[in-house]
Amino acid sequence: MSSAPIKPFRPKWRGTLTDRERFNRQLHHQPVDRCFNMEFGYWDDNFKVWPMFRDHGITNNNDADIFLNFDRTGTVWSHWMFPTFPYEEISRTANTRILRNGDGLIAEVPLDGHDTIPHYLEATVKTPDDWKRVKEERFNRDHLDRKPDIAAILRDHPNDRDYPLGAWCGSMIGKARDMLTVEGLAYACYDYPEMVEDIVETSCVLVEDFLDAVLPHVKFDYGAGWEDICYKSGPLVSVGFFRDVVVPRYQRISKKLRAHGIDIWWIDCDGDVRPLIPHFLAGGVNTMFPWEVNGSGHPGESLEKWGPELRIMGGVDKMILGKGRTEIREFVHSLVPYVARGGFIPFCDHRCPPNVDPDDYLYYLNLKEELLGLRG
Amino acid sequence: MPLLNDLTAAVAAGKRVDTVRLTQELLAAGTSPQAVVEQGLVPGMAIVGERFKKNEIFVPEMLVAARAMKEALKLLEPLLLKAGIKPKYTAIIGTVQGDLHDIGKNLISMMWRGANFAVVDLGTNVSPEKYLAAAQEHKAHIVGLSALLTTTMPAMKETVRIIKAAGLTETKIMIGGAPITQEFANDIGADGYAADAGSAVDVAKQLVGDAA
Repeated sequence: MSSAPIKPFRPKWRGTLTDRERFNRQLHHQPVDRCFNMEFGYWDDNFKVWPMFRDHGITNNNDADIFLNFDRTGTVWSHWMFPTFPYEEISRTANTRILRNGDGLIAEVPLDGHDTIPHYLEATVKTPDDWKRVKEERFNRDHLDRKPDIAAILRDHPNDRDYPLGAWCGSMIGKARDMLTVEGLAYACYDYPEMVEDIVETSCVLVEDFLDAVLPHVKFDYGAGWEDICYKSGPLVSVGFFRDVVVPRYQRISKKLRAHGIDIWWIDCDGDVRPLIPHFLAGGVNTMFPWEVNGSGHPGESLEKWGPELRIMGGVDKMILGKGRTEIREFVHSLVPYVARGGFIPFCDHRCPPNVDPDDYLYYLNLKEELLGLRG
Repeated sequence: MPLLNDLTAAVAAGKRVDTVRLTQELLAAGTSPQAVVEQGLVPGMAIVGERFKKNEIFVPEMLVAARAMKEALKLLEPLLLKAGIKPKYTAIIGTVQGDLHDIGKNLISMMWRGANFAVVDLGTNVSPEKYLAAAQEHKAHIVGLSALLTTTMPAMKETVRIIKAAGLTETKIMIGGAPITQEFANDIGADGYAADAGSAVDVAKQLVGDAA
């Protein structure tokens, strides 16, 4: 975070509701003053090459949210693996660095530091013995640092705040994928299904412990989670395994959330999520984020197919943003009826990439306000 | 021949232990390595490709099936080599320059092997010049370019340009990857686009004129 206060680059969209009221009403298909205004963020390279960021010292997504004056959201996080593995450089090649990340995975990244997705070389967990060791060392549910500091949470996020707050509901299978790699998870579900189920169960118990501690004290608006368990052509876990092993754990978490009046639970999952939607919904996960159009199609198609039970956050095609204003205008116009219907908050369907012209991006933000902002 | 059918079913279900055992039994019973590949393994991977295209299975099942096939091929390839039998078509594959990701590339490589193409895997971060040299050396029928990142899509364009400029008339270029579309393939002059690993076999067969 920058030390100097950030001066907003644009005025906040006019409104008559608080951000919290607007968020909750919009995702419950109730009338709102205007659309909730948010974006998912930007690649690191955008902060180096987009003049509006570079010239104003904006270097990260938190600062960008303030700079562009979006509506506010907040999340109270909980630990999954704790302690994590220490980051370390293992070796270098002519063009790449080989690193161990916090999840213990060994990955290859470009030496020049350009923005990319790491290429994973070796899994943290390959066998039940590996998992037994990692579980003992890093998944102790009684570790004192796992106990949430309720007073600090309420100091940072008072219950009478004016913005929506999410309770982190973790990841049941995506983080397992992170430890095992995509191929490793596929093979482990076949070779060691009991081990993968124990990873999922451990993840679930840690979330349940966290929710038991915070829900009686903090008035949350939604549950938030992450899986990234799909890619362009569908799930990266077998649908049967997801249905039989993951969904029952979602149901346990959902039961706790709903017992405290929280009936919105969004999960961040890239790629084509459509084959998993009935199972997410059966588990109580009713809001998909960031709805990558290149994988999951136009958000309107699935909103119509599933009706009000499914909510979507995201769904503005990042590829369209890179094509130019005519395409941007046509696409954003196509979203307007779904915003009006409720249960849909549009924003770029992942971190906005640096190939998008920054002037076209501002055009997109202005167009959203023109079409989805407060009228009159 | 029930054992060949059993092998097909074992590969399609990703049962690697059964696949290896059945391959050994077929060879021991005198079935030729070529028949084991063409009548046992290839139909198994064809089933996987079809089920994938129908969204009945997804990448995990495909990976597990490909692993089973790969283990059987370890037994078969030395025998095929010794008998002088090689696939009719050769494909080069790699992830384009600037891109280190290989899951999609590896999957398509295995699906092509499962369709009885000889596959030369150039790895990741492959320069346009390296693709061209490999295409010339192996007289490739197909060159497959993979990319995960929008930022490496320009490298695809340059690779297509260099191969086309070299005048390799028998070589067809296919592209694919998370950000790739048919429209982009058309724009850069690629001969084919595969949306996923299932359709990659069909597109490759069409391009070499061997479609069913």
